[in-house]
Amino acid sequence: MWAYIFRRLVYNVPVYLGIILFVMAALRVNDPIWTYLGKHATQEQYDQFAKASGLDKPFLRQYFDFLSDVVRLDFTVESWDQPGIQVGKMIRAAIVPSLALTIPALGITSFLAICVGLISAYFRGRWMDQLLVFIAVLGMSVSFLVYIILGQYFGAFWLKQHLGMDLFAISGYPSGGLTMATWAYYCLLPILISVIVALGYDTRYYRAVMVEESNRDYITTARAKGASGPKILFVHMLKNAMIPIITRIMITLPFLITGSILLEMYFNIPGMGRRLILAINAKDFPVIQAFTAIFAALFIVTNILTDVLYAIFDPRVRLQ
Amino acid sequence: MIAKFFQSRGARRFRRNRIAMASLALILIYVAIALAIIVGDLLTLEDTMDRVGPANLPGSWGSQTTEKRFEDIDYYLRQVERALYRRQAGQIIPRRNPEEALKELRLGSLQAADHNPVATRKRVDEAVALFEELEEYEDLDAEPEVLPKLEELERLVAAFYRPAGAMGGFSRWLELSGGTDRQGRSIAIRAIYSIKVAIQVGLVTAFISILVGSLLGAAAGFYGGWIDHLVIWLYSTFSSIPNLVLLTLLAYMFTGSIFDGTLIPIYVAFCMTFWIGPCRVIRGETLKLRELEYVQAATAIGFGKFYILLRHILPNTAHLMFINFSLLFIGAIKSEVILSFLGLGVKKGPSWGIMISQSGQEVINGFFWQIGTATALMFGLVLAFNILTDALQDAFDPKHV
Repeated sequence: MWAYIFRRLVYNVPVYLGIILFVMAALRVNDPIWTYLGKHATQEQYDQFAKASGLDKPFLRQYFDFLSDVVRLDFTVESWDQPGIQVGKMIRAAIVPSLALTIPALGITSFLAICVGLISAYFRGRWMDQLLVFIAVLGMSVSFLVYIILGQYFGAFWLKQHLGMDLFAISGYPSGGLTMATWAYYCLLPILISVIVALGYDTRYYRAVMVEESNRDYITTARAKGASGPKILFVHMLKNAMIPIITRIMITLPFLITGSILLEMYFNIPGMGRRLILAINAKDFPVIQAFTAIFAALFIVTNILTDVLYAIFDPRVRLQ
Repeated sequence: MIAKFFQSRGARRFRRNRIAMASLALILIYVAIALAIIVGDLLTLEDTMDRVGPANLPGSWGSQTTEKRFEDIDYYLRQVERALYRRQAGQIIPRRNPEEALKELRLGSLQAADHNPVATRKRVDEAVALFEELEEYEDLDAEPEVLPKLEELERLVAAFYRPAGAMGGFSRWLELSGGTDRQGRSIAIRAIYSIKVAIQVGLVTAFISILVGSLLGAAAGFYGGWIDHLVIWLYSTFSSIPNLVLLTLLAYMFTGSIFDGTLIPIYVAFCMTFWIGPCRVIRGETLKLRELEYVQAATAIGFGKFYILLRHILPNTAHLMFINFSLLFIGAIKSEVILSFLGLGVKKGPSWGIMISQSGQEVINGFFWQIGTATALMFGLVLAFNILTDALQDAFDPKHV
């Protein structure tokens, strides 16, 4: 087992090195300093910036410097756009809002999608199944942005205006601590929207998984032995379908950190995704570089975790 | 190779699926419209920028309040008035060459009906008098005599304009069918022009991604060895950056460059993220195909490896290419909306993404025409592709999860 984990880690080292190389190169295609300062800046200003940020050094040197920063988790570089604020501090401040949004969203979506997938697979081929599949396809054909705009209008604005129910905030995030009440007021509406959007995709996936499972021999055996429908569904099928389900959930884990960039932007929730987009709009080079590096690192770590969990849960997966 | 593909069992199964054929037909209609815009000039970029009427006009099927009707008639009347008179230091004085101004008066496909300034001026004065009379009323809905007067005014003003060209009536209807946006531009025209952008982005990115992805994937699976390692490293690297982060990063890469404002940054960003999917799938399929008897037979006969790859492996992954093409097309259309909302997508001219993100403000004011029209057109195309993807999968790859 440990050998397997170690092998996965070693295997991902060149991948991560490649990502950092690509990200750093991509960010330097347009000279980041000129992009930030604008065309009217003087050469002295430029030189000063270059010296302060180390951008005047040769690329390889910058590469290894940044790499050592990442490895030591040393994010003391200061933002250009908000001088005096360290990138590490920004990351710490942005993680909680992102997670407050995405963990409940992932939980609710997975639960509902598995339920609907089970129902759909149970009624396979009958009108119930066809209706659910049809709704899922319809739902998938509308842009995420439309759900957000209409969800915000009807959930926050229309409810308040026409029914006098002030359930959800139009946008924003509690400035004080996050309590259950403020969380529900500010975060529940975006969560509901993302659940509705994700439900279409996830339901289809889980249905396909269940249908695949229901064609297997052990289901026929269970039926032949006279097991009841629900028992087959929940005991036999769900247990065996856990592997693809876990994979699916693990695959979505890195997006917990990225958060739903769109939701955070639209509802003014100061999470990781919003930070990154604001940094891109402000041409805030150190923030963009650090955030992308962290996103990639988290992505790889969860990938390794998925593989390991996969190996633990499914005895059929050989570790060789 | 292509003829063989269409005679395959999967293709026959696909052709029997009526809903799939209907959605394919719908897609072809969209493509035809896009082609008509690109090759012929059904619509030009200028058409989408023209003011066609007052701002935030509801579509032809929308109900109108008396107040909104009054505001709209005000707009049409002022256009003619402005052609005849000009304002100078607070005073309204007649223009010296109103004939020219009347000839140039244009609201989308509408133009001035009568270029004779004397007669027009007389009628405009009449209409303005009626307008000012109506302006006196505090509450337009309360007074019973308002409605006949408003209708009279609308008749008067309508007589100032006539649709230009043979298809004028139809194009006028089309222009107003989706209402107008905040700047008085036709929503329907902008949404139709956006079909071109969507098809262009979808076709180019899906085609390049499939080409690159399947070549790399097939080569990796077939040759193995260092090529395989290299390709796996490449796609692991690109897929380890969250998709949206990579897209925004690539879009940022191009800001300020000479390509800024064209579609090229979008093409590059999409292709760099989209090739991974087909590459993975086709590599997997190639690994399976490599062991089959007919490939071994071809090797035994003495065909070169490259020949076998091109002649025997790639044609047998064609169904996967089609499925992925359809999937990527949907991905491209949807990602365009998201990038445009973030300010990193299409910058010149309209697109569904730009229209939907613009409509965020209008929706708060209860105006749904922009978001509705753009979404409806987009929904048709994406739904057709979704159905097509499912049908292709059912026909060619029934065991797929």
